[in-house]
Amino acid sequence: MKKALLTVLALVFVMTTGNLWADSSRDYISIVGSSTVYPFATVVAEKFGKSTQYKTPKIESTGSGGGHKLFGAGVGVQHPDITNSSRRIKKSEFEKASQNGIEIVEVKIGYDGIVVANSKKGAALKLTRKDLYLALAAQVPNPDGSETLVANPYKTWKDVNASLPNTKIEVLGPPPTSGTRDAFVELAMEGGAKKFGFIKAMKKADKKKYKSVCHTVREDGAYIEAGENDNLIVQKLEANSKALGIFGFSFLDQNTDKIQGSFIDGVQPTFDAIADGSYPVSRPLFFYVKKAHVDKIPGMKGFLKEFTSEKAWGDEGYLTDKGLIPMPAAERKEFQAAVANLKPMTASDF
Amino acid sequence: MNNTSKSQRTMDIVQGGLAKRYQKEKRFKLYGLSAIFFSLLCLSLLFISIFSNGYTAFQQTFIEMEIAIDPEFIDKGNFAGSDYQGIIKASLRKEFPDVTGRKAKKRLYHLVSSGASYQLQDFVRDNFDKIGQTIRLWVPADDDVDMFIKGHIGRKGPEEDRRLKDDQISWIDSLVEQGRIKKKFNTTFFTAGDSREPELAGIWGAATGSFFTLLVTLALSFPIGVAAAVYLEEFAPTNRWTDLIEVNINNLAAVPSIVFGLLGLAVFLNFAGLPRSAPLVGGFVLTLMTLPTIIIASRASLKSVPPSIREAALGVGASKTQMVTHHVLPLAMPGMLTGTIIGMAQALGETAPLLMIGMVAFIVDIPGGFTDPSTVLPVQIYLWADSPERAFLERTSAAIMVLLVFLISMNAVAVILRKKFERRW
Amino acid sequence: MTPSYLLIILLLISTVAYYLGKKRAFAVVKHQGGPKVLHSRPGYYGMLTALWCGVPAVLIYSIWLVFEPTFISDMILSNLPADIKALPDDRLTLVMNDIKNLVNGNILSGEISPVIRSASEHYKHLQFISHACLTVIVLILSIAGLLVVWKIIKPELRARNHVEQLLKLVLIACSTIAIFTTIGIVMSVLYEAIRFFKVIPITEFLFGLEWSPQMAIRSDQVGSSGAFGAIPVFMGTMLISAIAMSVAVPVGLMSAIYLSEYANKKFRAVAKPLLEILAGIPTVVYGFFAALVVAPAIRNTGASFGLDVSSESALAAGLVMGVMIIPFVSSLSDDVINAVPQSLRDGAYGLGSTKSETIKQVIFPAALPGIVGGVLLAVSRAIGETMIVVMAAGLSANLTLNPLKTVTTVTVQIVTLLVGDQEFDSPKTLAAFALGLMLFVTTLILNIIALVVVRKYREQYE
Repeated sequence: MKKALLTVLALVFVMTTGNLWADSSRDYISIVGSSTVYPFATVVAEKFGKSTQYKTPKIESTGSGGGHKLFGAGVGVQHPDITNSSRRIKKSEFEKASQNGIEIVEVKIGYDGIVVANSKKGAALKLTRKDLYLALAAQVPNPDGSETLVANPYKTWKDVNASLPNTKIEVLGPPPTSGTRDAFVELAMEGGAKKFGFIKAMKKADKKKYKSVCHTVREDGAYIEAGENDNLIVQKLEANSKALGIFGFSFLDQNTDKIQGSFIDGVQPTFDAIADGSYPVSRPLFFYVKKAHVDKIPGMKGFLKEFTSEKAWGDEGYLTDKGLIPMPAAERKEFQAAVANLKPMTASDF
Repeated sequence: MNNTSKSQRTMDIVQGGLAKRYQKEKRFKLYGLSAIFFSLLCLSLLFISIFSNGYTAFQQTFIEMEIAIDPEFIDKGNFAGSDYQGIIKASLRKEFPDVTGRKAKKRLYHLVSSGASYQLQDFVRDNFDKIGQTIRLWVPADDDVDMFIKGHIGRKGPEEDRRLKDDQISWIDSLVEQGRIKKKFNTTFFTAGDSREPELAGIWGAATGSFFTLLVTLALSFPIGVAAAVYLEEFAPTNRWTDLIEVNINNLAAVPSIVFGLLGLAVFLNFAGLPRSAPLVGGFVLTLMTLPTIIIASRASLKSVPPSIREAALGVGASKTQMVTHHVLPLAMPGMLTGTIIGMAQALGETAPLLMIGMVAFIVDIPGGFTDPSTVLPVQIYLWADSPERAFLERTSAAIMVLLVFLISMNAVAVILRKKFERRW
Repeated sequence: MTPSYLLIILLLISTVAYYLGKKRAFAVVKHQGGPKVLHSRPGYYGMLTALWCGVPAVLIYSIWLVFEPTFISDMILSNLPADIKALPDDRLTLVMNDIKNLVNGNILSGEISPVIRSASEHYKHLQFISHACLTVIVLILSIAGLLVVWKIIKPELRARNHVEQLLKLVLIACSTIAIFTTIGIVMSVLYEAIRFFKVIPITEFLFGLEWSPQMAIRSDQVGSSGAFGAIPVFMGTMLISAIAMSVAVPVGLMSAIYLSEYANKKFRAVAKPLLEILAGIPTVVYGFFAALVVAPAIRNTGASFGLDVSSESALAAGLVMGVMIIPFVSSLSDDVINAVPQSLRDGAYGLGSTKSETIKQVIFPAALPGIVGGVLLAVSRAIGETMIVVMAAGLSANLTLNPLKTVTTVTVQIVTLLVGDQEFDSPKTLAAFALGLMLFVTTLILNIIALVVVRKYREQYE
């Protein structure tokens, strides 16, 4: 009896270790990148896996910045094939990737608005981009009117704008790895800072200083970095009705029973307002593909075709059900062609 | 005379203070009892909240649909890629013909899960002859409908605050009246892998991943742990080095699990280049974590075998190795087994080190081997806990219930074994 | 034949060798006086044969298989057409991946070019040859081993000693793995932490008051200021651990005292396993419970009192962590209290003290070193706890002692900084290793103190 048990154990040991030597190769697509694009990419990936014989792609949510870093590290099996991004690739990222021998194909998948939302238990706020800049920047113009910059002294929304309620400024937003953060500081905060003449003039005089004034977010506790996980921000807003959260429109759309978006410059964040461009804080969503991997990793061509098909990203597609705002038909055709031809990006695209 | 009065005084003093002391005694006993009840209260609170959130997940709402398999939608050359979603949409429109407008139609399509098209696809693949006919099929309902039927989403309140709008509720009511909405046992939960749609998500992928990872952990940590314990306890010379080793191993048992994750990241992924998210790497990291536990438990059980047994064996002429393998080891084996089972139970519930080695991605396919990317059950719970859909809340709780059942049964087996083989020397 | 089958065949041959060796031992001494003339028991001769048959073969097998893929890949690469060979290294890995996918029977992407197909055929051919060679060599080795030992089986052969030597070697090897783990942890964490300290001075890390590590990750991005002062993070860990211990120590200690002194056998038999269940619940479940039930409850209670409670208060995380640690304190104290000999108790009862007085004045002081050791171990557990705080505590490093505010801990920061990020150059990623080093050193010191306290002050009762 004991001997039998021992032999069985030995066999199990052998079978498990025997398989360890199998020379493994990657036969699934590896995707990293934005947490905003993650819900869309996962839906397409699942559909792709279920309707073809290829394996379902593996998708990690690392943030747009983190995704570009991993993506741009080089060509090869150990590097990801596709990176999702909630903002356009920056010139520095493109240059680094090109240095590592990567040819990138850019694909825009649609538009998304950035909303500043709070729980439905409180009242909806009517903010302007100037308010957002004054509330969240590290350095703001001196309240006494002289054209100098001081560290942000405002503690409540009322301090920033007398028509706003007297509640503490508490905003939950993404960290610098997030494309949403990059887009927010560029569209909302820079848009608000430009309203001050002397800051606008800085753009021509000292571009670096201009950027640091517009884009640096305060670190004294009013802006709380809440991680890559946008779902977590929604949960925290539910628990704390005085706080505001910054994330993509798709998350607002999926949770309209719990949260509401603030008006920005008088426009409410709705599907139509973002689609026709009247909502000022909207940005396109992308994914970037390594041209060298397309023929080598099984399933990539099919996945790209599924993602860029009308039934996915079209006006009636399943991605719009998830909150993606589709591109106009002409743009969709343009990117379908880019994917079919695998046209790589060049430095002149910037 | 004097003595009695003095001793009476002492007795009086003692008697006087006795009541107070008994009171203190009672209070102290009460504190102890309430401490135990507090812990048990927390335990039951935990179980009740998880159970109450999770038991509804074992049922899934299904809708019986009349589907006309229109051959126009089927692409004869590409069965898998045909537009089954279109067939479902057409059937829904036929069911409720007075629904107009893009938004209203979208809400109509949302009654049924997107998994219905895959179910139809499988049906057509198995029954080619049914193309062109009308069939009745029970398809899973969308997770909002599921939550509504289970009572988690209400019908009160202003419309824009609700997940289900008035027209959707009226359609659901009419289907309920016809008896075409039913709750059935949720087999998908136990057979499917992860998914974006809660009604299609299951724990099978994570469970298989856990199984493979634990297999690697057991296969590596049990032999190595027992062998190391035997050497350190029986054969190693007692000097400063072995003292240092003992201190080291005790420390390893108390090192936070996340540091093992860091080690795994630095050594296995970066240095050795093993595949990310594979049960193999997870198994290696967990082996390193459970090794100290098994070594300490094995050493304790080896120590508990009395010297008389050893000396008796040496006395009849056995060599040291024979004494250890024939006499000491079998007697210490129950203790080693219980230590191993407890170590495995700890490894099953670990999350933090596996987060570091990449098992935290969206992986849908069921892993087939040790090098396929996979996730484990605790990590799956962690991922689902972050999802916004209401239906994932109950599924997370149900997954926790499954995990707890495994862990408690493992611990129970360990306790029973310990009791059965415990010997009082 | 496939490697796993080969391994099974080897196992079978070794078993056969065992029986052959044993029979030979019996046969050799048949006419010399029987088995009692043998130096060792006959089984050992069989075992020696089996070991010499199996072990060298398995060693060669493992080494061969570890290096086989590299060799075959190199040979395939050298045979590829020149234009593919001219590709940079990383492209070559893609080509090799294609070839391997074809060999493994996985689905391939798109058209299979004739070059790839012929390369994969070649690969399969080479693999076949390699496996065939391996089979032959391994079989020859094992049979040779079998024959050699079979020949030298004599009554004077000290089979048992040889076998025991081999066994001892195996045991030593296994122990070194355990030791190497410690060294490995220390080395890897130390190495990366030293790289971190080259960029950020250690004084700034240990004594700085600002923690905002989310630096810019591109040259043209503006991120956080990149301050790496770890004091707020350590304070957060201390705060939550303190809350946890203030729950766990009284409850755990009192439970242990009740269970060991007052409870009858039936009560003990029921309550002890139930308490141990608390220890067996995975920490992710506790985290889920804390985030979902405890934190909102505390928030609502606080709001009804008019207090400003954060939705991720340190109190919520600390309370749940305390509940998790109760069984640790309880079972460790239980063991120590039981170890106090009955004679001390009897002496105290004999003098007329009540049970609680005995416990408070006799047993507790006697068991104190052990209890202190147990409490210190529980503290190190609380410090190193990850999942509960990841799910229930926050991410902003506040330097505060108010349990109603949100704080972050060392473990949360390690997870946030490392999940998904792989670049081991930026101070951000390396900061996680520095934090890990701090964690390791702290728990090490706590354990050593616990060990010293227990050893020094423990009373030796016969």
